[in-house]
Amino acid sequence: MYKLRNVKKDLERVLLQVQKPARYTGGEIGSIVKDASKVDVRFAFCFPDVYEVGMSHLGMKILYAMQNAREDCWCERVFAPDADMEAIMREKGIPLYGLESLDAIADFDIIGFTLQYEMSFTAILNMLDLAGLDIHAANRKNLWPIVVAGGPCACNPEPIADFIDLFLLGEGEELNLELIDLYKSCKLAGESKASFLRKAAQIEGVYVPSLYEVSYHDDGTIRSVLPKDGAPGVVHKRIVKDLDKVFYPEQFVVPFTQAVHDRAMVEVLRGCIRGCRFCQAGFIYRPFREKHGDTVNKNAKALCDNTGYDEVSLTSLSTSDFSELEPLLNEMLAWTEPDAVNIALPSLRVDNFSKELMERVAAVRKSSLTFAPEAGTQRMRDVINKNVTEEEVLHTCQTAFEGGYTSVKLYFMLGLPTEQDEDVAGIIHLAQKVVDLFYHLPNKPKGKGVNVTVSVACFVPKPFTPFEFEPQDTMEELNRKQKILLETVSSKKISVKYHDSPTSFLEAALARGDRRMCPLVEYAWQAGSKLDGWNDYFRAERWYEGAKACGLDLAFYANRRRAYDEVMPWDHLDYGVSKAFLIRENQLAHRDTTTPNCRQKCAGCGANGLLGRACFG
Amino acid sequence: MAELFHTTVRVFFRKEGRIKYISHLDIVRCVSRALKRSKLPVWHTLGFNPHIYITFALPLALGYESTCESMDFRLTEELPMETVVSRLNEVFPEGLTAYAAAPAVQKPEEIAWADYEITQEFDRFDGDEVAAALEKWCGRSEIPVRKKGKKGERVIDAAPHFQIQKVEAQGNSLHFDMRAAAGSTLNINPTLLLDAFAEETGFRADWMRVVRTAILTKKLKNFK
Repeated sequence: MYKLRNVKKDLERVLLQVQKPARYTGGEIGSIVKDASKVDVRFAFCFPDVYEVGMSHLGMKILYAMQNAREDCWCERVFAPDADMEAIMREKGIPLYGLESLDAIADFDIIGFTLQYEMSFTAILNMLDLAGLDIHAANRKNLWPIVVAGGPCACNPEPIADFIDLFLLGEGEELNLELIDLYKSCKLAGESKASFLRKAAQIEGVYVPSLYEVSYHDDGTIRSVLPKDGAPGVVHKRIVKDLDKVFYPEQFVVPFTQAVHDRAMVEVLRGCIRGCRFCQAGFIYRPFREKHGDTVNKNAKALCDNTGYDEVSLTSLSTSDFSELEPLLNEMLAWTEPDAVNIALPSLRVDNFSKELMERVAAVRKSSLTFAPEAGTQRMRDVINKNVTEEEVLHTCQTAFEGGYTSVKLYFMLGLPTEQDEDVAGIIHLAQKVVDLFYHLPNKPKGKGVNVTVSVACFVPKPFTPFEFEPQDTMEELNRKQKILLETVSSKKISVKYHDSPTSFLEAALARGDRRMCPLVEYAWQAGSKLDGWNDYFRAERWYEGAKACGLDLAFYANRRRAYDEVMPWDHLDYGVSKAFLIRENQLAHRDTTTPNCRQKCAGCGANGLLGRACFG
Repeated sequence: MAELFHTTVRVFFRKEGRIKYISHLDIVRCVSRALKRSKLPVWHTLGFNPHIYITFALPLALGYESTCESMDFRLTEELPMETVVSRLNEVFPEGLTAYAAAPAVQKPEEIAWADYEITQEFDRFDGDEVAAALEKWCGRSEIPVRKKGKKGERVIDAAPHFQIQKVEAQGNSLHFDMRAAAGSTLNINPTLLLDAFAEETGFRADWMRVVRTAILTKKLKNFK
């Protein structure tokens, strides 16, 4: 029934003309090839960035393996081609294809995008276009392909609501399978796209934007978002209740060419107990749930055996909050050491980084350590609820230096709510204290200097955080503060890196944008935005021109303070944390007051409603 | 430290199909992961970051296929060579096939020549026309080509370092064998010659397939 075009022959003629052709050939170990005539649903899992980035993404690996575990479904991987490959594909008329079959994806059943960051929105349009599809959902009349999207940015998908048929909110394991089931039955029954979408909207966690009417006040804020055709007034995100029972892959596709994170990954927990007020992930992934150490160990061993990776990372938002970390590491070292496998622990916190933990990490490899104090002064850290003290930062650095590390990277944010110039200078003062600490250590590593890298990002207020009401600093203000940073540095041991403010500004506008931004996203893509996450390809002007052409004021979205009672573009989506809680947290922030972490005391965010019980105890 | 390794084993394998687009460096990483998956008793380097030690006799250019590749690694236990071959084939990706394994005999420095089977397709030329031009171009007493080396570009006379045989034209395609100098002292890549040919005559192929079929010593014996 498929009229699929295979691009294998076309690729033969062009692949030696592009950089790193290994990104476009497929055939990796772990990739799954099926007989197309024996499956009911063909799913193109699209990552709107280049192969090296997409292949580092854990969520894709989980959903890929899980969908392919079904006999009736074949899930393939699709990435954005780099500029050289795209030019050749357009010149030679090669459509976007799945890496497993090398079939064009235009005739697949479901095309799914993962929304990891706002700046990838234009890449989605470009990929739809390269596939030969109309970018507008309303113009795609057939049941196939249905274009779906999930991932963190689905929590406010309004700026791309015109292009995507439906969004999947929350965790995908159960939701994707339910969607595939429904799709399959609609397809076999010969139902229309409209009928499928109406039924899909009844699945908990599915948001069909075309079933909601948005109206606006004269001042540009939203008056109401009203459902139609029986769609629910509020769409609740989905979670998996028991992480020990949920599907976890025993095999990854192992890329030939190096990915950004090229290693086995095992998720140890979901959610985060910390409640840092700037951190969207810390709220939208709630409630906090852990795997058991045994499960993690089993997952890790299976993955290393099947992939041949020599490194496994224990991933989560905050791995040192994993309650069974020490026993788990002991258990793992029993096989990782003889097998010469490294254990990587990303996302360590400064307040519970012990000497023992460091030795475990160091037992396998010694490189630079990274910590994120996020703000330079205690007041500022209290505002953002980063419950970390200066002593803890210094103590951690001391542990690291005594363990032989001479290079430390510290992450900060600039433009946080209520930030004063002294808070900005405080970032450098803290870094200087780390430098001084090194030179005052009697047992510092001999014959080496210290290197403190201060990496400063511009703060971007995000939906579903207590700072969703806050204005972002204007670019002028951010640039002024960046100057203060540089002027405060007085040591050659400190190097400062900061992010580009136009990117952060657009990210802020898109993150809290509404549907009126869809034409802007389309304009920017038409003007040439394709891989805006890459500085080499990013041009802010396309977006500024687009905003002018579409009659949008980007500052309205990025730099405006919202009233607590304003209807947010995402208010009809529910991620478990209540707006009342976010308002409470916002008020506490303005009083420089912290909130204890979830293990110490439940803050009543509401996410435990998804679990149906208390998160702890 | 005598127990460190038992034998250096040389595994011969083919690299065919779309895996030709995987670069040499990526193949090294891929094979080292395959060895890990195979659970063969492979020697790891010592030190802080132990890793599998593999060497390749003669790296293959990106885009080439081969029926005669070899790689060396060390085993820490004695094993039947057939076991090494079958265990590797169980874990190799599509396109890599091991077909022999034996204790390494010769050093890679003894490699002097390599044989290639080459097919070229032309969208705008006739195979016969190109064949005639190619034979004429290769038949000259001196064939200067520009070769990039570590010390920059230099012009060398390629004439003594390669020959072509069995030139056959069919429609718009051309098929021939080439033997060219190979190894660490002087390595002549067929693409280098065919690029020079195309530059001078305009006969640039729109598609080309190169298969390395043999790696030879000075005495023209198979490298083993």
